[in-house]
Order: sequence, then C-alpha cells, then structure tokens
Amino acid sequence: MKYIRALLSLLVAGGLTYIFSRPLGPAPALGPFFSPFTGFWQNAESVEKLPPADFKLQGLKGEVTVKYDDNGVPHIFADNDEDLYFAQGFIIARDRLWQMDFYSRVAAGRLSEVMGPLALDFDRYNRRLQLPEGAERLAESFTHDPTSKLIVESYSAGVNAYIQQVSYKDLAIEYKILGYTPEAWSPLKTALVEMVMRKDMNARSDDYRMANALAKFGKETMNDLFPDYPVEESPIVPSSTKWDFTPLAVPKVPELMKASMAANLDLEAENPGIGSNNWAVHGSRTASGLPLLANDPHLGLSLPSIWYQMQLVSPTVNVYGVCVPGWPGIGIGFNKDIAWGMTNVGSDVFDLFQIQFKDNTFKEYKYGDNWRPVTSRVNEFKVKGSPDIIRDTVLYTHHGPILYSQGQKPFFSDLPVGHALTWVGPVAAGNSVKALYLINHGKNYDDYRKILPYLAAPGFNVVFASNQNDVAITSAGHFPLKWKEQGKYSLDGSNPEHEWKAWIPVEQTPYVKNPARGFVSSANQFPADPSYPYYLGWKFAPAERGIRINERLGNMTKATPDSLRLLQNDNFNVEARRILPELLKYLEKDPSAKALPAYGVLAKWNLRNDPNEIAPTIFERFVKELRLAIWEDEFPTQDEKAPMSQPTRDRTWAMLQKQPNAKWFDNVKTTDKVETAADIITTTFKATIDSLTVKYGPYNPQTWVWSTAKGTDIKHLVPLFKSFSRMDVVNGGGPGIVNATTEAGHGPSWRMVVQLDKTWPKAYGLYPGGQSGNPGSHHYDNMVDKWAKGELNELVFLKSKDEQHPRIKSTVKLQR
Amino acid sequence: MLYILILVISGIAQFLGPWWLMPIVCFGLCFWKAKNAKEAYGIAFAAISTLWLGYSLFQSFSSGGEFPLKVAEIFKLPNAASLFTAVTLVGGLVAGFAGLAGHYCRLALKP
Repeated sequence: MKYIRALLSLLVAGGLTYIFSRPLGPAPALGPFFSPFTGFWQNAESVEKLPPADFKLQGLKGEVTVKYDDNGVPHIFADNDEDLYFAQGFIIARDRLWQMDFYSRVAAGRLSEVMGPLALDFDRYNRRLQLPEGAERLAESFTHDPTSKLIVESYSAGVNAYIQQVSYKDLAIEYKILGYTPEAWSPLKTALVEMVMRKDMNARSDDYRMANALAKFGKETMNDLFPDYPVEESPIVPSSTKWDFTPLAVPKVPELMKASMAANLDLEAENPGIGSNNWAVHGSRTASGLPLLANDPHLGLSLPSIWYQMQLVSPTVNVYGVCVPGWPGIGIGFNKDIAWGMTNVGSDVFDLFQIQFKDNTFKEYKYGDNWRPVTSRVNEFKVKGSPDIIRDTVLYTHHGPILYSQGQKPFFSDLPVGHALTWVGPVAAGNSVKALYLINHGKNYDDYRKILPYLAAPGFNVVFASNQNDVAITSAGHFPLKWKEQGKYSLDGSNPEHEWKAWIPVEQTPYVKNPARGFVSSANQFPADPSYPYYLGWKFAPAERGIRINERLGNMTKATPDSLRLLQNDNFNVEARRILPELLKYLEKDPSAKALPAYGVLAKWNLRNDPNEIAPTIFERFVKELRLAIWEDEFPTQDEKAPMSQPTRDRTWAMLQKQPNAKWFDNVKTTDKVETAADIITTTFKATIDSLTVKYGPYNPQTWVWSTAKGTDIKHLVPLFKSFSRMDVVNGGGPGIVNATTEAGHGPSWRMVVQLDKTWPKAYGLYPGGQSGNPGSHHYDNMVDKWAKGELNELVFLKSKDEQHPRIKSTVKLQR
Repeated sequence: MLYILILVISGIAQFLGPWWLMPIVCFGLCFWKAKNAKEAYGIAFAAISTLWLGYSLFQSFSSGGEFPLKVAEIFKLPNAASLFTAVTLVGGLVAGFAGLAGHYCRLALKP
C-alpha cells in the first residue's frame, strides 16, 4: 500500500511537472510561462531599467562600446568593420530578435510551423511567389563581393552570439506565448528579410482585372478610360528636363492577346496603395544656404515598428539612421557629408502570362510553334499541432510558376488561375547590402550614383543631398525594358515577344540633379513625363501628394528643418480643391441635398483633413462612393467571373470636369432611366450621409469628427495580439494627403529631416513605435503620441566615442 | 520552518535554473522535514504560491502594472486577478504534489 501511494504521488507530481513544461495545444507551457522567475513577468521592464551588463562574446576582434541614449537608440563604436556589423547584429537582436525571425519566416513560407494552420495559405502563397528561391539568389550574390560577404557574415555571427547566450527568461514574449525558440541567423535569413520588402512593394498586379475590362470594352475605350499618363500630374523629374543619354531601342508592340480565362475567385478589398514622400531642398532656398532633406516612407504601420534607429561608427564610417531588423547597414539616414532617403517607385514589375496547356494533364504548354514541358516542384510544410507534412505541388513554366491551377483558391482576388508569373522579386539580383555600405560611406554626388547597379528591387526613388550643395533624386532599380503597355494587361505566355528580355540600363533610369526649381521630390507619382524614352507602367500613385509637395516647396524661401516638418504634416486635400467646387455646384441645385447639414459643412470647409474637421469624414466617403456609383455597373470590381479595374480618380474627375455628359454616368442596371452626372452625384451624396448616419449616429460634430472617423491603427505583427497594438491613434491626414495616414494602418513609418552642414549636420526624426520590440518595455511605443502630434525628436549624432552628451544614459561594452 | 526553507532554497534554485527545480526542491525538503501528508502538501503549496504570487506582484508593480493586463487580454482572461490566480494555482499544485510525493516516498523507504 505505502509503495503504491508513493508511486502514485510521484506519478502525479512528475506528470504535472511534465505537462506544465510543454505547450498545451495553442497555449504556452504553463510552468515556465507563469513562473515569475522565467515567465512573461520577466518581460515587464521597469522605467528605470538597470544599466545592462557588459558582454563577453566569442567572435569579436576587439572591444566595442555601445552608448544608449534616452530614447533607447544605440550608438555603436567599433575598431573595425567586422566588429561593427557583428555588434549591429548583436544589439538589434537584443531588441528585435523575434521580429527579424518573424520576417524571415514570412518569406521562407514557414510561418505555420510556429503559428499553426491559420498561416498555411499565406505560406503557400509566399512560396509560390518564389520568395525562398529569390532569397537564395540574393544570399549567393552577397558572397560574390568581399565587402557584402564580410558584412552579412559578421552580422549573422553577432545575432547568433546573442541567441547563444539568451535564456528562456530573457526571450521575447512572442516566443513564450507561441511556444518556440529562435533558430540560428544566417546570410540567407537577411536575404529573406529583403524578399519581404520586395514583396510588400512590388508584388501586386492589376493585369488580370485590366485584361477582363479589355475583353469587354475593347482597346479604344481602354485607351480613353485608362490612359498611360494622368491629366493632372507633377512628375518626379520636372517636365522640362532633357535626358542626357542615348536610349536603347525599345521593342515594338506585338499583337495583343484577346482571350481571358475564367477564374473562380474569392474577392477581397484591394490595398489602397499609398506610398511615401521624400524631398531635398537646395541651399538657394534654405535659411542656412545648405540643403535640407526630408523623408517619410509609408508602409504598413506595425508594432514592433519596421524601423530601428542606430548610429554606426568605425574607422571607415560614422552614419546615423534607421535600418530594418535583419538587414545590416543603415537604410535611410545621413552622415557628416550627405543624407539620403527612399520612397517606393511602384513601376510595373509583376506580370501574369496566360498559359495555353496542351490538354487537361497540364504536362505541356504552348510556346511559339512548339509545346514545352511543364515542370513541377513540391513545397513541404510543417504545421504546428499537426504531425503530418503538408505537400503543395506547384507547376512551373519557363516564365515562372503557375500561381494557381484550376480548382485552387487564389490568396488574392486579383490573381487568376492558369497564369504564370514573372516578377522582379526572384529575378533581379543586385546587392542591397553593398548598396547600403556605399551610401553609408558616401561623401558626395558621385558616391551616391555608385550605388545604382546594386539597387535592384524594390525600385526606390532615392533622394540625396550633400554639404557640397548638391541635391538629386533617382528612380533607381532594375526595371525590365518593356514595349509600351507591356504588362498593362495579362500577357500571352505562348508569344515569345511578350516576355521580359532586357533591363533598362541603370544609369538611364529617371534622375535629376540640381534642377532649376531648387528642389527635388517624390511621392510615388510618375517618375517622368511621357518624354522619358522607356515604359515603366501606366499607373502610379495618385498625383495629389506630389502636386502639394511641389507647390509648397516651390513657394519656400529660407526653409528651415521646421518648415519641412510642417510640410510632412500637411493635411491639405488637393483632390477636394480639384473636385469639391464641381460637386457642390450639382448639390446646390437639389434642395433636399442642400438642406442637409453635411452640405453646409462641405461648403464651408477649409479643405484640410485636420483631426478636428468634420468635412473630411463626409468628403472622403462621398468621393469613394461616387466613384463606385459611376463605375461599378460597367466595371464590376466584385464580379466573380471577371472582376475588373476601374478608371483612376484622375480620369474620373477629368470626365466630370470635361465630359459631364459621358455615357458612363448612366447606371446601366436601371433600364427605365438614363442617369446624368447630376443624378448620380445627388443620390450618392444622400446615400453617403445615410451610411455615415448608420455608422456614427445622426449628424453631430462630436461623433463625425475626422480624427474619430479615421483613427489610425498600429497593430502588432500578430494581429491576434490585440493588447500589444495601439488602436485608433488620433491624427489628421488621409490617403492622398501629404500626411498620409489611414485607418487601415498605413502611414509615415519614419519621419526624418536633416539639415546638412559643413561641420556637423543636425537631424530630427521619429517613427510610430519604439526602439524595443518588447511590449513590456517603456520603449515599445513611446514615440507614438509624439508622432501623432506631428512632432520630431532631435537625433543624437555623436562625433566620437569620447563625446560627452547629456542624453546618453548608459554604456555597454562588448568584449571578446 | 519547512515553509521558510522551501521559500528560500527553491527561490535560489529558480533564480539560477529552470522552473522545474522548484518541484525537485519541494520533493526533497518534504522528504526530509514534513511530519505528515497534510503538512507536506499544504506547506509546499502555500510556500510556492506565496513565493510566485509575491514575486509576480513585485515585478508587475515595479514596472507600472499594465503589462499583466495586456497578457491577460491575449489569453482572453477577464482581468489581471485571474492571471494572478492562475500563477498561484500552477505553482501551488505542482509544489503541493511534489511535496506530498516527497513525504510518501520517505514513508515508503523508512517506515
């Protein structure tokens, strides 16, 4: 009896300990997770965190000093470049390891391994986009250059030095909750992080929706409604600029394909596709007589933030700026002599090829006059909570993978079945690590232009300013040399003329240096007007932000950093200036519309999307509904068989201004009546007010105010972790506004203003997040409120290790 | 006495090593010191729950107290109190059964 009792109690005690040491389904291991000695409690950091201890690390050559300022920004001082990048890896891993690991898993299509079946379709899609294959190519290209090889290897060693010494107690909370541990870092993972950026910036397409519209309306109507250049535009390279190169011959336009394949599609809303701003003002327009540079890249806002601030100092370099966790070097920033910034180019580098299979076995496809064999590849997935390996067979043509075959459900609605994909992501190599190294070390304009061959994808509008009083901008990247409108519609996979054959020479991508107007700028609009000899795409971001920026910069004299900060926060609505007077003219003729309080609000509006205004709530909804009311009957975005693109807002407003009697205003679904522009505008206005009333209650300035209606969400990378997110951040702006913040959580992910100087630059910046990736840290989201108010922090740019600065709060030494 | 011993020795062990040193310490100390089954279970349970609850309260207060609320929300727990209850129960149950096992094993080996 006593033996049985002892055995039983031992079993219970041992069993409990064992069960509590392992993850329980989706729940973490309860023992270590709840233990205050190791669990999530350890992630709660007190305000006055003790200065971190010094570290002894294998792999360092000498001693590295890291000074943290009051915002948690590390300033790293190393005796050589190897140690510098080693320390960058180690230091960023301390704050952001889980995030880097997460990005690399996204691109590797391995998220479901740690998140479970919910992430499986996302993983399949990322593998089908060839993100892992692209990363392998990139990692390979890093090794071809001794500098980039040294950087990625030292950086990996630094990250791994952190992983080796971290215990469960100090692991990121996300690891503890999801119940897994970090894997070793590698140059391949750095390449995977870059592939995430390529995907975010370049991997969307209208081709298929456009092909459906072409099939229904024919080329003439498409040329009219979907022109290759907008009516109102203010291109990045000013229109009068002469191109100082001899262009290559552009291929002739081949015969277009007519057919379009039926597809089973599950539709979801399209990404509104907003971009970023950057500009540099020449000394002739600034108070100091030397240039000012500003950048605010707009990305999906997240916590932890996509950016991390750092200063990197070695005998060869002293540079400050932001980097993407997992990607060595400084991505956007400045040094003593120069400053640079980036926005997305957004040219058409993602094309779909309709494939003609010989028969239902999908073994051969037509190419020219022959049949070519289809190859295949099996992707394997381990899924958390499931013992089986899931296999996904993908068919390949020489164009690229067949994204989805008949009967498979596409991840995005704009992706058809039976089409092969060619996109820049896995094809363009370049060497971004080398490009960043060169710009981080750059001293002048010539150094800046040297990075071009290495910047492949995504294409960036790289803005530049130097203390030699040069300003410049280049739409840099590897862009396919296309015939006019190549890839505007789905392409014909059987026609050799439809493939990508060459690249635009990197020195011939649009650029301009020291233009007469005294500034350069970009806001993702057309890089150049139609005088540019190459075709880059038919649609870029709407022109409004660019128009506004160029107007304001054109009026600036004696600009200061604060003038640029104010411009970054400009809430003026250029679209409203263009079209609201026209709309009001129609509305005032309708007594019942005019009687609505909303009409009065719009009529008296100062045209600013300021947080305390009510008119933007009405206007933004109204114009969105209006465009749908005009186009959805003829160009259904939600049609199951053949979803279509709709004309841009530029084309729509041009039609309203110049062709008010166009047949497109008629709603073809009402057969008994021919609607005019006036009918559509007044009914849509009333419908808008009705839906706003449903959403915010009867008209009331308090509940209809723009800041409440819009409220920007900054979500944690795992949206399920809601309490780690910052929801409904109060601010102004909107899509198409220079201060481009949206409800969906897009917006300025880093705002920076640099004042160049002969001796030492001054710079300001912040991002909507914090340096620490730990939700239990006071540096997790400490910059969000200042960001929402449009303020900037002065950045601490140390001259040397020995400089005494009042904002330096602690010092860490890394020793071998 | 047993209470203090568990508190101190398991505290040091958990501070330096993994969480499962805690049941081992409870097992050993109850093997050595517990007078009866009720005491073994009760004192081990009480010592570890106070230790875990006390230390987790200390950590959450010294950091401002918001963080446990956020974690509770992720696990769909109604409030931070339920999180502290869970801590007390997880720690206490494991400690209690380990203590009981220690005492019974001693009885089995040395009558």
